[in-house]
Amino acid sequence: MTELLLRNACVIDPLNRVNGDVMDIAIRDGWIVESVGNGAEVIDARGFLTLPGGIDSHTHICGTKVNFGRYMMPEDMRAGRTIRKGVMHATSGYSVPTTYGNSYRYSAMGYTSILEGAMAPLEARHTHEEFSATPLQDTMANTLFDGNWPVMEAVKEKDVKRAAAIVAWTLAAVKGFAVKLTNPGGTEAWGWGKNVTCIRDPVPHFEVTPAEIIETLIRANELLRLPHSVHLHCNNLGAPGNYQCTIGTFDLVPDLNKERQSLYATHVQFHAYGGTSWKDINSKAEPVAYSVNRKPQIVIDMGQMMFGKTTTMTADGPMEWNLYRLHHNKWSNHDVELETTSGIIPVYYSKKSLVNCVMWAIGLELALLVKDPWQCLLATDNPNGAPFVRYPEIIGLLMSKRYRDEEFRTIHPDTGKRVILDTLDRELGWHDIAVMTRAGQAKALGIAKIGKGHLGVGAEADIAVYPIRIRDTDPSRDYAAVVSAFQRTAWTIKRGRVVCRDGDVVVEGTNRTIWANSRVPEAFDMGRDPEFVKKFDRYYTVRMANYPVQDAYIPRSGCIESEAVL
Amino acid sequence: MLLKDVVCPYCACLCDDLDVTVEGNRVTGVDNACDLGAHKFQAGNRLPGPVRPTEKGWDRVSREEAIGFTVDMLLSADRPLIYGWSTTSVEAQSLGIHIAEEIGGVVDATTSVCHGPSILAIQEVGHPGCTLGQVKNRADVVIYWGCNPIEAHPRHLSRYTMYSDGFFLENAFKERTLIVADIRPTESANVADEFVHLKRGGDYAVLSALRAIVRGKTGSIPSHVAGVSRAQLLRIGEVCKNAKYGAFFFGMGLTQTVGKYKNIRNAIELVDELNRHTKWTLTPMRGHFNVYGFNEVCTWVTGYPYAVDFSRGMAFYNPGETTAVDILARKECDACLVVASDPAAHFPRAAVEHLAEIPVVQIDPVVNATTAFCDLQIPVAVTGIDAEGTAYRMDGVPIRAKKILDLGYPADSEILREVYQQIRDRKKVREVKPV
Amino acid sequence: MRFMLFSGRTIRQGNAVESKLSPEYRDATSVLSMTPFDMMEAGLDEGDAVLVSGPGGQVVLTVKADEHLPAGHVFLPYGPYANHLTPTETHATGMPDYKAIPVEVEPAEGKPVTVWELMRDLGGVPHAP
Repeated sequence: MTELLLRNACVIDPLNRVNGDVMDIAIRDGWIVESVGNGAEVIDARGFLTLPGGIDSHTHICGTKVNFGRYMMPEDMRAGRTIRKGVMHATSGYSVPTTYGNSYRYSAMGYTSILEGAMAPLEARHTHEEFSATPLQDTMANTLFDGNWPVMEAVKEKDVKRAAAIVAWTLAAVKGFAVKLTNPGGTEAWGWGKNVTCIRDPVPHFEVTPAEIIETLIRANELLRLPHSVHLHCNNLGAPGNYQCTIGTFDLVPDLNKERQSLYATHVQFHAYGGTSWKDINSKAEPVAYSVNRKPQIVIDMGQMMFGKTTTMTADGPMEWNLYRLHHNKWSNHDVELETTSGIIPVYYSKKSLVNCVMWAIGLELALLVKDPWQCLLATDNPNGAPFVRYPEIIGLLMSKRYRDEEFRTIHPDTGKRVILDTLDRELGWHDIAVMTRAGQAKALGIAKIGKGHLGVGAEADIAVYPIRIRDTDPSRDYAAVVSAFQRTAWTIKRGRVVCRDGDVVVEGTNRTIWANSRVPEAFDMGRDPEFVKKFDRYYTVRMANYPVQDAYIPRSGCIESEAVL
Repeated sequence: MLLKDVVCPYCACLCDDLDVTVEGNRVTGVDNACDLGAHKFQAGNRLPGPVRPTEKGWDRVSREEAIGFTVDMLLSADRPLIYGWSTTSVEAQSLGIHIAEEIGGVVDATTSVCHGPSILAIQEVGHPGCTLGQVKNRADVVIYWGCNPIEAHPRHLSRYTMYSDGFFLENAFKERTLIVADIRPTESANVADEFVHLKRGGDYAVLSALRAIVRGKTGSIPSHVAGVSRAQLLRIGEVCKNAKYGAFFFGMGLTQTVGKYKNIRNAIELVDELNRHTKWTLTPMRGHFNVYGFNEVCTWVTGYPYAVDFSRGMAFYNPGETTAVDILARKECDACLVVASDPAAHFPRAAVEHLAEIPVVQIDPVVNATTAFCDLQIPVAVTGIDAEGTAYRMDGVPIRAKKILDLGYPADSEILREVYQQIRDRKKVREVKPV
Repeated sequence: MRFMLFSGRTIRQGNAVESKLSPEYRDATSVLSMTPFDMMEAGLDEGDAVLVSGPGGQVVLTVKADEHLPAGHVFLPYGPYANHLTPTETHATGMPDYKAIPVEVEPAEGKPVTVWELMRDLGGVPHAP
């Protein structure tokens, strides 16, 4: 038995309605308990801001496409090197760090759970291998179904239950966490070098539309009682005028779940563009936020873009091709049979580019215009909008109008004509930030019930103590202190152990993989469905017996079970 | 006993549909495999246990002594080289990389003498790729350039390209066009619809000509380019542009010849160009079983796919300097650990000579040319026969190779884990309690 | 006579690669292919021994006719014999010129030595069980 007492912690714990109380947190064997004995180790938090461990609900940190980003960019690897030291491995990389680089840097920022935004089922083993080398966070994998042939066939047959059964079989086989749709239908069209422009375009050959895929999978997802909702990267990412497609997509979403949203729309900054071309692009954050404000069934994340060098990587292969033709730098693409695709190009977001300045403003506008912070989470679609190490600056910008104004003065002078950011006075508070970086994520992902994202008794002891006293700090003025505090915790506690102290990792750690297993009635077991098995054998190049991810890849399993209602 | 869906341990096609019959802990039958794969299952000549050369011949040593010797050698070296990795599991490769990190050594893989130049090209211009099932289900035009799959990857055509049924092709063989480009008419060229017989060293020029044609600049093409007629080039340009889905495969005919990575860069840029007309992808014909797995794990651990030097504490990558042939040729390393490869058979003579001058430990199941330079050889199980583990197919799909026999040998990963652990114990690496 | 040598994989070499000390492996990797015309010019018959000298060193091989080769070129399967001729220069890529080795070919006596002999030549100690 190991016990730890965190004393004098200034706690914000939105899920338990704690807002700035100074209190002690008792921890036993990795869990938060009522009290501990006198022999417990004591850490004096000295009144520092104490939050549940950070959760990133959409980031690209592990798997085929992430690793290919590293592989093709030695220049990015050289841009972020640290040496082998203590228990820390050598790390490389700035926008796409090595797995240990990701893990250490997230840990220094107080993050204890992270969700890989896109895993192709066929290559799931790769994602899990990298998870095992990401030792200081619990990890989850969004599993791609956007171009899944059996799913599209079920959608065409209007057979929601069959779609649900395919999802259940696949998630269990690949140890996936949630249903991810990236440019649904567009990734299959990309198999022929084509794309869909929005939700009503038919997918070549399969004769279904993105709208039908989205609607079917939202319903299927709820039939399976999965912890998270469908996680959607909308069609037509990054195109001027795409906000109408985004709002049209939101209008499809029924409200099916009392405990959480029915749709998580990711990196909405990239989907809130007005105008007709790069010449007249402008912000449509207002109508998009208005739509979200009227639909409790939707949660979004910002997809904030920050100026500087980074790498774009997404399962949205056709979008990366468009980006390549715009930038003319190096381009990688990886299509995955029967399932999905992906693309990568490096980018530089410049303050001298009016388009980039508009993008920067839109992300912040969304966070300031969505009224309820539980509906707009903080993320950059790491590393697409910016590497996750920029999160503290985003927190600073959201908490300080002055900081925003100062930045605004340094960007393209025409930006003000295209955006409304400079007119927004709202400044988010500490509680809002706690929601947008952990509590909101835990609720949206459906992992609060396994003890994530809060600090109540029974919660897992994942805790971040930031070296800042909120009563002595006015974030509006002292935003630099806020940014600095969120860059480096005083203590990051994972599973009841201090894993990172003042930015230095002090334990080796072991990752835990959280995945979803929805039990379906035998009649819906796709492993025994003759049609499913026949097509699998005929069209995949891997045998069905060799497809599932073996237990050896999940050294520490956090399976969330559910009973499907089919 | 008949075992189904066994993964072949030979090449990076990683065929996973083998039927293997095992009787009395011995493979008695292999179905579905090619000749190369079937041979691998039945190869004998395993070393019985660790051996080292003495004045009087080769002596057996215990596993403990062998591991102790390896640890001593690595810890007392100033510039150790750790090399090999193509026929073992990702789990073993990962340990090898961490050993290099722990001792400040250089770790490199057989990649540097096969598709290293492909990686250099990808680092310049990227890689438009796909999994092999995309080709199988969609491709109506397939190019093999500077490779001879019938001899080097015998089932590539039947599983993934020409003779494989595909979802979007009614009659795959009839509907697909096969183009082979090489400097000699290989077995693969004999089955092609179109053979591009180019002069040695002419690959770059022919690829450039095709790029020009695809861009519509047909007027600039002379009557012959590196031995290939203008008419043929124009014909191929049209076939490529009119493909519904084209797949470009290439091998060491491009990576090892004059121009090296610049050839690959040109091929990639041709494929990029073709994507402006229709869909095209490109795939390197990776050779050994899990050579690609090394590149993957080395990348997620160090940031670089091969040739990583840890002597400064961080990962440093500079092919041409930190690659095995160069380090040996400069007589720079003072100890060498070889795992799952045979540099003495595959490196230039002068590079091999240096192996005779320095302590060498080899971890490998069989006696090979490198054995002659060993101060110690530790035999291990063959991954995919008597050890399991992850391997990456040439297209990046990871598959778990199975253990189908138990011959009593440890897996490479077991030996390497002990070596790593002892090195860390001796260096007193441990977690510290924060204050 | 001067030739340009290139090496490559063959199915025989691939089959024998797991037993490098076998006669099969030696036979699979020590045979130099040459066009019949070039053989005639050099006064060679199928099966003759030749001494091949390259930038990396010298080695005795057996010659074999291959009408499909380009004139002036010789082919040798990938392996220790080819590597006896290959120079270590990698032009800052890590990759030697395995497929572009200028060599001198002349008639010789005897036959290719074993792989062990080649290794002994380089300072190795052949394994004996």
